[in-house]
Amino acid sequence: MNTKALRYIAIIAPIPVIMVSLLLGASEDITIEKVFSFLFFGDLTDSELIKTILFHIRLPRVLLVFLTGGILAVSGSAMQAIFRNPLVDPYILGLSSGAAFGAALALYVAVLPIQLSAFVFGLLAVGLSYVMARKNNQVSVVSLILAGIITNGIFTALLTIVQIVSDPFKLQSIVHWIMGSFHTASWYELQLVILPAFAGLLVIFILRWKLNVLALGDEEALSAGVNPGRIKISILIATTMASSAVIAVSGIIGLYGLIVPHIVRMIFGVNNKVTMLMNLLLGGTFLVIIDDISRSFSGFEIPIGVFTMLICAPFFIWLLKKTNTGWQ
Amino acid sequence: MAMKEKPIISVTELSFGYNQNQSVISNVTCNIPENTLTVIMGKNGSGKSTFLRLLGGIMQYNSGAISVNGFELKKMKLGDRAKMIGFLPQHHKPVFPFRVSEVVLTGRASYIRFSPKKSDEYHVDRALELIGISSLKNRIYSELSGGEQQLVMIARILAQQPKILLLDEPISHLDYHNQIRILKLIKELVSNNITVVAVLHDPNMAYLFGEKFIYVHDSQVHEVKDEKPWENHLVNNIFDNELFPHEHDGKYIFIPKI
Amino acid sequence: MKTSFLLFLTCVFFLASCTNFNRVQSASDTIAVTDFRGKEVKIIKPAERVICLIESALSGIYMLYQQNRVVGVPSAIYGENLYQYYSRLDTRVLNRALPSPGNWDFVSIEQVVGLKPDLVIIWSSQTDAIESLEQFNIPVYAVMLNSFSDIYKEIEDLGILLDCSDRSDSLVALSKGNMETIHKNNENIKSAYFMWSQGITETSGKNSTVNELLKAAGVINACNLFDEHVSVSVEKIYDWDPDMIIMWYNEKLDPVDVLNDPLLQGLRAVKEGKVYELPEVFACDFWTLKMQYPVQLISKWAYDSNLDTNMQKQLVNKMYKQLYGIELIN
Repeated sequence: MNTKALRYIAIIAPIPVIMVSLLLGASEDITIEKVFSFLFFGDLTDSELIKTILFHIRLPRVLLVFLTGGILAVSGSAMQAIFRNPLVDPYILGLSSGAAFGAALALYVAVLPIQLSAFVFGLLAVGLSYVMARKNNQVSVVSLILAGIITNGIFTALLTIVQIVSDPFKLQSIVHWIMGSFHTASWYELQLVILPAFAGLLVIFILRWKLNVLALGDEEALSAGVNPGRIKISILIATTMASSAVIAVSGIIGLYGLIVPHIVRMIFGVNNKVTMLMNLLLGGTFLVIIDDISRSFSGFEIPIGVFTMLICAPFFIWLLKKTNTGWQ
Repeated sequence: MAMKEKPIISVTELSFGYNQNQSVISNVTCNIPENTLTVIMGKNGSGKSTFLRLLGGIMQYNSGAISVNGFELKKMKLGDRAKMIGFLPQHHKPVFPFRVSEVVLTGRASYIRFSPKKSDEYHVDRALELIGISSLKNRIYSELSGGEQQLVMIARILAQQPKILLLDEPISHLDYHNQIRILKLIKELVSNNITVVAVLHDPNMAYLFGEKFIYVHDSQVHEVKDEKPWENHLVNNIFDNELFPHEHDGKYIFIPKI
Repeated sequence: MKTSFLLFLTCVFFLASCTNFNRVQSASDTIAVTDFRGKEVKIIKPAERVICLIESALSGIYMLYQQNRVVGVPSAIYGENLYQYYSRLDTRVLNRALPSPGNWDFVSIEQVVGLKPDLVIIWSSQTDAIESLEQFNIPVYAVMLNSFSDIYKEIEDLGILLDCSDRSDSLVALSKGNMETIHKNNENIKSAYFMWSQGITETSGKNSTVNELLKAAGVINACNLFDEHVSVSVEKIYDWDPDMIIMWYNEKLDPVDVLNDPLLQGLRAVKEGKVYELPEVFACDFWTLKMQYPVQLISKWAYDSNLDTNMQKQLVNKMYKQLYGIELIN
C-alpha cells in the first residue's frame, strides 16, 4: 500500500474508532443493543440514562484520551527532533513525573492553579534532565536518558510524599497517578486541558517544518538562517505546556510518546511536516483503543499506563539496541 | 590572472578565543575579494575552520568587526545573512533517516516562513541537477556514502542561493574525479558572480583552482598576493615541508620533499 | 491536511463547550443528614437504590436489615475472605448477581450512573469520584471514621436515610450497652502493644482508633506517639516493654512466630507468653459495631485467665446474632 493511501486511512481512522469506543463500557445495564436501538430506532426506554452515559461519561473520556494520546505522540516527536535523540519523550525526560508532581502539589497545597503548577514543574523537570546531561556543551543520547531516570526518580518520590502526607490511606490512588488513569474523565477535565493543549499544539504545528532544519545540526540550521536556540525553546515550552496539561488530569502514561513517533516514522518517513499530523491522529487513535481495553473491566480498572508500559517497554529496548550511536 | 580586488568581506582587527587566555584568532585584518575563489590553507588545528565560522556568523567574535557587502555581520538578521552567506560545515552526524530532497530543502529555510512552497522544491531540483545527483533525490541521506553526503550538503548550500559560499573542506570525502568536477563547478559559480571561500588541504587542487590565498597560522591570518605563493618564504615557513613545483602547460603540480 | 486539522480543532472546541449539565434542585427535600464532609445530604424519600462502596458501611446496612435497598457493592466482598460471610447474608452475593462498580480506591462512574442509584456511600477521601457523581445529581454520603462515636453516627445516619431509625437506635443502644459491661475497675492496668499485619514494627499511636479500642478494653496503648499509623524501631518497643502484644489478624505470622522471634526475646510480653492474635478481620472490624468483639477479647486476654476457642466462638456467634440477626458461622 502506498503512503498516500495510508495517510488517508490515518486521517479517517479516528472517526470509526471513536464511534465504536462510545459503544463500549463497563455498565452492565447499558448494552450495545440498547445503545443501538436508542440511536437508530429511537427506542426511548432508558433514553435519559443512555444519553447521560454516552454524552457525559463516555464521550468526554474518549475525547480526553484521544487528545492525550495525540499530544503525547506529538510532544515526543517534537522533543526527539530538538534533542536530536530518538529515545526521548515526555516520560523519559522526566516531564511527566514533574507535571504529575506539580498537579498533585497544587491539588493539596493549592499554591498555584493545577495546570500552571503542572507546567512549571514539568518545565523544571525537563530543564533538570537537560542540565544534568550536558557536559562540554554536548548532550549525548544516553546521558540524557540517564539524567531523565534520575529526574523521574526525584519527582516520583516527591509525588509519593505529597500523596502520603495528604492522606495515608490514599496509597492505592498513587498507583493510579503514577500509572495514569482516565476514570474520572469529564467535560470539566476536558475544559481544563483544552486551552493549553491547543496553544501548545498550534506552536508545534507552526514550527513543524523548521524541525527538519534543526534535525541536521545546530551549525547547519544557523547557516540556513534558522536560530536553533529560539526554536528549541519555543518547542520545549509548547510541548511542556500541552503535555503537562494532559498529564495533570490523566497521570503518567509512560513511554507512549516515544513509541508512536517511531511507528509513524516507519510508515510515513521522518519529514516532520507530514508526521506531526499523523502523530496526533494515530497517537490519539491507539490510546483510545488501549483505553477501551482498560475500561471494559467491571469493578476495577487497570491503569492505562500499565498497558502502555507493557506494550512499549520491549519496543524501547529494541530501539536502544538498534540506535547504537548512543552507546559510544 | 587578473585580481578582482573589490572586497565583499572586510575583516578588521578580529579576535576570538574560547576562553580569555587562549585566542584562536587574534587581531586579524584582511579582505575577501568579490567574485573570486579564495582558498584558505593552514595546518590542522590552526584555526581555519574557526575563522571560516566567524566569517559565516556561525560563531560570534569577541572583538573587531566583519562587514559583508557594507553591512556589519553582527547586526544582520539571521535570515538576511543566510540569503547572503552560505556556510558548509565540515562534517555532521544525521540522527534521523531523512530523504535527500528533504535535506536539501532545509537550505531554503531563510525563504520559508512556515512551510515550503512549490518554488522551493524547484530550487531543490535545480541544485541537485547542478551537482549531478538528481538520481539520489529520493534516497535516504544517512545511508549514502561520505562523498555522496558531501555532494548533498553542497547542493543544500546551492539551494540556499547565497552570494557568498563559505566551504569548509568541501572535497575531503570525494573521489578524485568528483573533486575536480566540484572545483570546476565552483569556478563556474565564481564566473557567475558568486564569491567562494574554501578551506582546502591538497596544494595541487588549491593552487590549480584558487585565485587568492589566505594562510592561517599561529592565530594570525596572512594574505599572500604573490603570483606563485608556494615560493613565498612565509608560506614555506608555515608548512615546514618544502614543495617542489613541476610545471605543465602553465599549471603546477607539487611533489613534497621526502 | 491543514483543513482536516482545523476541522478536528473546531470539533473538539465545539464539543468541549457543550458541558452545562442541568442541575435539578428538588423543592421538597424531606430527608437530610450531615455527612462526614460536613455537607448536608438531602433526599426526597428514603433511598431505594443504594450503592455502597465501603465494606464496613455495607456491613452496617445488613445490620439494619436493609439489604434489599442495595444495588451496588464494593468489589472487595467478592474476595475470598468476605465472600463467605456476605454470601450467607445475601443470595444475590451468593450468585454473584450484585454489581460491584468500584472499591475503596476506585469507582467506575459509568457503572455507578448506569445503576441509577438514589444514594451512593463512599469514603470522603475519594474526592474526584464524589465530584463526578455529584455532577450527575447523585446524592453522595461521604464517610470518614476516626472514632467509635463516628461509627455510631454513621449507623444513625443510615437509619435516617434508609428509613429504619428504630433498628439503628436499638443497634446503637445495644452496642453501647455491651461495651459498658466489658472490663472496668482494675487496679493493675496493663499496657498493650498493637501490631499491624505488616510486621512487629507497625503500630498505632495515641491519636488513633486502635487507641480507643485498647482503652475500651481497659488497657493502655504502649505506644506513646501520636500518629494514626507509625513505623517504630524494635528498640522503641523495648523502651515501652508492654505487658502484652495484640496482633491484628495476620496471614503470615502467628503468635508462635512472634514468641520465637530472636529479636524480641527480651520483651516481658514475649517472656510471659502474652502475645495474642485477633481472629479474622470480618469479626474484628472496628470500623463497624463489631468493634465490641475485639474489645471483649482484649479485655479477657488482659484480665481473665484463659479464653478457649469455644468461648471465643460463643462470643462471636452471640454478636452476629445480635447485629445481623443470624448466625454467620457454623
